[in-house]
Amino acid sequence: MDAWQQFIILLEGVPLTLSISIISFIVGLAIGLPLAFIRIYEKDVGFVVDAYEKIFRGVPEIVLMLMIYFGLGPFFPIPFNNAFFVAAFVLGLRSGANQSQIYRGAIHGVGNEQMIAGQSIGLPKWNAAWHIMIPQVITYSTPGLGSEYALLIKDSAYAAVIGGLHEIMTQALQLKSIPPGDVITPFVLGAILYVALTFPIAFWLDRWGNKRKKKMGL
Amino acid sequence: MTDLVIEARNVYKTYRTKKPKNEEACVEAKHLVEAVKNVSLQIRKGDIKLIFGPSGSGKSTFLRCMAMLDRPDKGDIYLGDECLTKPGVDLNKARARIGFVFQHIYLFRHLTALGNVELALRQVLKLPKEEARKRALDALTEVKVTDCINKYPSQMSGGQAQRVGIARAIARNPDIILLDEPTSALDPELTGEVIDTLRDLAKEGTTMLIVSHEMPFAREVAEEMIFYDEGTIVETGPPSLFFNAPNTDRAKKFMTRIINRTTREEMNV
Repeated sequence: MDAWQQFIILLEGVPLTLSISIISFIVGLAIGLPLAFIRIYEKDVGFVVDAYEKIFRGVPEIVLMLMIYFGLGPFFPIPFNNAFFVAAFVLGLRSGANQSQIYRGAIHGVGNEQMIAGQSIGLPKWNAAWHIMIPQVITYSTPGLGSEYALLIKDSAYAAVIGGLHEIMTQALQLKSIPPGDVITPFVLGAILYVALTFPIAFWLDRWGNKRKKKMGL
Repeated sequence: MTDLVIEARNVYKTYRTKKPKNEEACVEAKHLVEAVKNVSLQIRKGDIKLIFGPSGSGKSTFLRCMAMLDRPDKGDIYLGDECLTKPGVDLNKARARIGFVFQHIYLFRHLTALGNVELALRQVLKLPKEEARKRALDALTEVKVTDCINKYPSQMSGGQAQRVGIARAIARNPDIILLDEPTSALDPELTGEVIDTLRDLAKEGTTMLIVSHEMPFAREVAEEMIFYDEGTIVETGPPSLFFNAPNTDRAKKFMTRIINRTTREEMNV
């Protein structure tokens, strides 16, 4: 099999790699954004957020995936016997912990005065967070979010350990196992693909963010 | 029956300049600042009162307490007949009836002038889209910033931004407008346009409590001036009292200094 054929097979893994990373990014956003606001504006329960961040930033993704897929999967086949679900879920939990920290910094950067101004016009706290803080916080976070998304693309490769998911790395491992066993080409091509996927998105996010930041004078 | 709009009764507020270890140690080491010491003040419908005094004396903290943007440690705030310092009061509803203008403006950076003014009309008063737009445009016309309706705060001059800030505060027809040094963060040549806007509001009979050191303006519009120092109201009276002969030494000294400064500035211009 020549390199081009191998590359085509690796390309077949791109849609899954992208969907794992996009879905886990969205899960991370849905977890991280509220956590960041809770950490700052509901100090009484801030320790829960701290604990969450410590756990999911501390335990390796690969360990979590193996634990959940092989540990919980047999007992709760729905949803834990679904490799795609487990991969996106675990990466989403981890990303939630990372994104929470990104947004927390951004909230401080945007400044509490914006929140006070929002409350001064009669908006309830959570309403002010939604209408005033979040649009600015997302903009402020774009550089961090770009690198977080790049991390998710790369870490989607861990899904190969639970198998059955034909994302880029699983494809590469399969190519390697075809006799006579080319151990170099599939991985080099895979590496190129990962760079090609991460770079444009981080770049585009950064540019979009800078444009919006300029408009806001942030 | 009373035409009282807002009232502060024995309001007391401290804030810490350092992390607390214990209260007494903080007071002794002056890490606990008593910004508002049992201050009482009544504002009636149509009143225009002006608070002035040295910086750091607690004027802004007191104003924030009146809007319940800071919760007083002790004492009560009444908005009409409603006590806002009782637990369980819907403060958001109360704040919707109080307009607040900030020294550093704090426009919402991601929204245009129109968006800044519309937000409360849409989200707080829940007006339908067209009506909210119409009222927002009316408010922006009133403060004469129709030329920056679609501009973002970063694209406006300080004077324009502050007038949008005033429009944001008046658009929902609040019972009172509290203004915290609305001109002191602006370049001297821009204060005039904001003062003109405030003068217009005064003519319309808007109820206002203003923290300001714009003395010519104070003399013209204020019915009562309040000299505030070290967390308390030191002296209260009509502008004529302060411009001629204040009763207290502290007010006398402060007036002399501020009038000298004003004349110096006028001579420079």
